[in-house]
Amino acid sequence: MKQFLVKACLLFSIIISASLLLQFKPNPDKVVSDFSLRNVDNKFVSLKDYPNAKGFIIVFTCNHCPFAKLYPPRLNELNTKYSSQGVPLIAISSTDTIQYDEDVFANMVSKAQKEKFNFPYLYDGEQAVAKNFIAQKTPHAFVIWKKHGEWVVKYDGAIDDNGAEPDKVQEHYVADAVESLLHHKKIKTKSTKSIGCQIYFRK
Amino acid sequence: MQKKRLFTFWFIGLLSMSTLCAQSSSIKVIDFKTLQTLTNNNTDTTYVINFFASWCKPCLKELPEFIEFANNNQDHAIKVIFVSLDFKSDSNALESIINKYNITQSVYLLDEPNANKWINDIDPTWSGAIPATLIINPAQKRRTFIEDSMTYDTLKQLIK
Repeated sequence: MKQFLVKACLLFSIIISASLLLQFKPNPDKVVSDFSLRNVDNKFVSLKDYPNAKGFIIVFTCNHCPFAKLYPPRLNELNTKYSSQGVPLIAISSTDTIQYDEDVFANMVSKAQKEKFNFPYLYDGEQAVAKNFIAQKTPHAFVIWKKHGEWVVKYDGAIDDNGAEPDKVQEHYVADAVESLLHHKKIKTKSTKSIGCQIYFRK
Repeated sequence: MQKKRLFTFWFIGLLSMSTLCAQSSSIKVIDFKTLQTLTNNNTDTTYVINFFASWCKPCLKELPEFIEFANNNQDHAIKVIFVSLDFKSDSNALESIINKYNITQSVYLLDEPNANKWINDIDPTWSGAIPATLIINPAQKRRTFIEDSMTYDTLKQLIK
């Protein structure tokens, strides 16, 4: 009897701690809403504009952040590789432009030209899309996938494991997640953390 | 004989140069393991570890508050440590911040590119955004983590 009680207690505490841990898990399998945001070419972009998309790579980024500045070539590469396979990349800037002048729309336009962005770079001035995704910093990447007509977050976190030194990247988190989804395999890493510039939400 | 003396001169020169260089740079480049050993002792000191970077505007805004707090609490068992998340190649930018704000406290540059491996060890609730501050007292088993900007008053409230 005593042994049974001990076992039951143990099981109970495992369940409690597991549920506590799950609470901290940020995003996986969260459903996000479609949006309509102004692109640097002044046209509005929505997810529904891509009827053939299986999924998207959504990257919250901005002009000013040194970490975000390291990634434009890698974003172009990801879009080149995966948009043809039905997984286009969309970049969104949601940072507070009152705090960072460098992030205003006009500067986004010149940034996209200078870096030869081959993907939309959208202005989320109201910060509503960042709030919907729970984007916390720049760069913060999400891989979303279509499931029963809804967009489900399948990966959230860093683009890869080395911002400063692209040659030394060992884990290509975003690319690996997209590859797994395309090949109906289990995603190895569903969520990662990285250093970045906080997206300050105006109150 | 001549050769030996020359060598001694060269050696002394090298030694004094390296000490000079070490003094002029107040930044210590460390890995995560070293950061952990810095704080995993059992003294009754309260460590205030501020994670910042020279490129992070809100971090620089709160920097003077931390410095003032550290300077006003030198007699107490409180130690303020700054951990910079600048890139190693940007240590000049960090150096100029140290000079500009006159930081006399220890400044460490954490050289660990894959943050996913250590962010959770600092605190599982940390998203990785900075500024962020960890307040610990190993002997009292106290641990508070704040992923937000801080002021002198909030520091005072949290520590006393």
